[in-house]
Amino acid sequence: MGLDLEVRGLALSYPAASGAGLDVLDIPFFRVAAGETVGITGPSGSGKTSLLYVLTGIERPRVGAVRWGGMDLASLSQGRLDRWRRHTVGFVFQEFHLFPGLTALDNVLVPATFDHVAVPGWLRRRAVSLLADVGLADRGVPAARLSRGEMQRVALARALLSEPGVVVADEPTASLDAESAAIVADLLLSTCRAAEATLLVVSHDERLLDRLDAVRRLQGGRLIEQPSPAPR
Amino acid sequence: MNPVRLVFADMRRSLGGVMAVIVLVGVAVALGVAVTAQERALRQGSARAAEAFDLVVGARGSETQLILSTVYLQPALLELMPGGVLKRLAGEEGAVWVAPIVLGDSYEGLPIVGSTSDLITSGGKRRLDEGHMFVSRHEVVVGADVPLALGASFEPAHGLPGPRAESGDVHHGAPYVVVGRMARLGTPWDRAIVAPVEALWTVHARGTGHSAGSARIGPPWDAHEVSGVSAIVVRPRSVADAYRLRGRYRSDASMAVFPAEVLVAIYAILGDARDLLAIISLATQVLVLAAILLAVLASLSQRRRQLAVLRALGAPRAYLFLAVWIHVTVLIAAGAALGLLLGWAGTLGLSNALHAKTGMALPVAMTWSEAALTVGLVGLGAILALIPAWWSYRQPVAEALRS
Repeated sequence: MGLDLEVRGLALSYPAASGAGLDVLDIPFFRVAAGETVGITGPSGSGKTSLLYVLTGIERPRVGAVRWGGMDLASLSQGRLDRWRRHTVGFVFQEFHLFPGLTALDNVLVPATFDHVAVPGWLRRRAVSLLADVGLADRGVPAARLSRGEMQRVALARALLSEPGVVVADEPTASLDAESAAIVADLLLSTCRAAEATLLVVSHDERLLDRLDAVRRLQGGRLIEQPSPAPR
Repeated sequence: MNPVRLVFADMRRSLGGVMAVIVLVGVAVALGVAVTAQERALRQGSARAAEAFDLVVGARGSETQLILSTVYLQPALLELMPGGVLKRLAGEEGAVWVAPIVLGDSYEGLPIVGSTSDLITSGGKRRLDEGHMFVSRHEVVVGADVPLALGASFEPAHGLPGPRAESGDVHHGAPYVVVGRMARLGTPWDRAIVAPVEALWTVHARGTGHSAGSARIGPPWDAHEVSGVSAIVVRPRSVADAYRLRGRYRSDASMAVFPAEVLVAIYAILGDARDLLAIISLATQVLVLAAILLAVLASLSQRRRQLAVLRALGAPRAYLFLAVWIHVTVLIAAGAALGLLLGWAGTLGLSNALHAKTGMALPVAMTWSEAALTVGLVGLGAILALIPAWWSYRQPVAEALRS
């Protein structure tokens, strides 16, 4: 099941050479309903990726609260935050970030090695099933030999391994040709909707954004449109 | 958590670099292992070779040269000692047997030693491998490695083996016949040709120690005047006799030496050299480890993003710490294991080469000291691997993801 997101009074700034902080994000309020698919778009440097990092606990904001399912990420220790992320968030990157020395199946199973000394059979079966879902029959092929579209499909399967309540994708189609981008977009939406996971997508891909429940535009670290859950 | 699969996948990816690091550590460890193992092999081999020589009496001069020339048959001219000393020693109550050694001839680079059957059989305790003991002045017994078959005959050349051999100066008309072969001793004597001492005296136109016209060989030498000898090997009856004889024959005319005394002095020098080489090899190992750590840190800074991706996927910081620590430790452990193998193989090769050159068998063995060196290096490497592991642990994730 997906988790709902509520952001209040969020501000993120980086130290600047001048000594004064460089404001990156300033979001008074932002809400995403459980299971909603939301796109975040905006020009380069507007803070889209930073927002994803803050929402997933990779980066801690200067002030403000990020609540997933009512739980404030700021209340978690580093260890608990890591555990929460690996069990709750599935990450899809623009550049896939597969591990080239591993097979497709082993790449999907990488998050399982964070918790287990030996990967349990049920997780292995789930990984195989996920690879079949994303249309990759040859699970023993080394990741380095996959096409870019196939790599992103493996990355998607990896993101879904722990049945996350939240899937976060950072420009998932930007590195792909049109055909592969369409396949990945289909898979991303269909799998997240099937799992009822909340989906946040940072993207410039209009064809992908058009298919989402809502799109928020970020400019200069501020969300221009006020959040309002769109009907699904 | 278990990052092992990821670590090995990473190693497979950069196999060339991984192999280079392993070989580098291996060579550094091999140097250390070879230094200690070779020094020990030399010590044990030389001690074993000297076992049969309890007390050696020679003309006054260098004790070390006396031992090198008699025990290890190193080609060097020794001052001849008056035969009277041999005659006197042979009559000593405290000596079980006394065997002269006369050097000076050779055949095809092999030393011909004039002596008695007692030296060959260690007073009757050692049996020949084949054939029989010489019974006349034209018969010889050869060492295990002498390439002469039983029944072969040859003419000796005047001069010691080696560069200074006067190989052209053959003693014509005095051929020897091989009648026996010694069992393998693992000493330079495996390459020696032993003739009756009277034979060497005869070819050099000296008295044989027996009455004129006598064909007798071996003690007692009862002639009025006995020819000079290069050295005399004495088997004392007891330790007390050994010391008593040593004291008695340390005079203006002769010196008496326990080979062990000389060896102890040589070992002290050898030990100093070993210590110096061990320090150099240890410094090399530390430098190699430091270089590897720097290379690992450089490679990690290039792979910051990959590590950050793992964190974004939910890997705890300890997972990264463990992955990097295992990576570095496995490299060092593999290099150390290779080094142990290379060190052993190198020592074996060097020992074989020395054996081929000198005839002295050098027993090669890996002992606790080599194992301790290897384990110590792996332990040090494992401790030093904590540095890059800690570096990975501390890396800010968001910054690395953006890099």
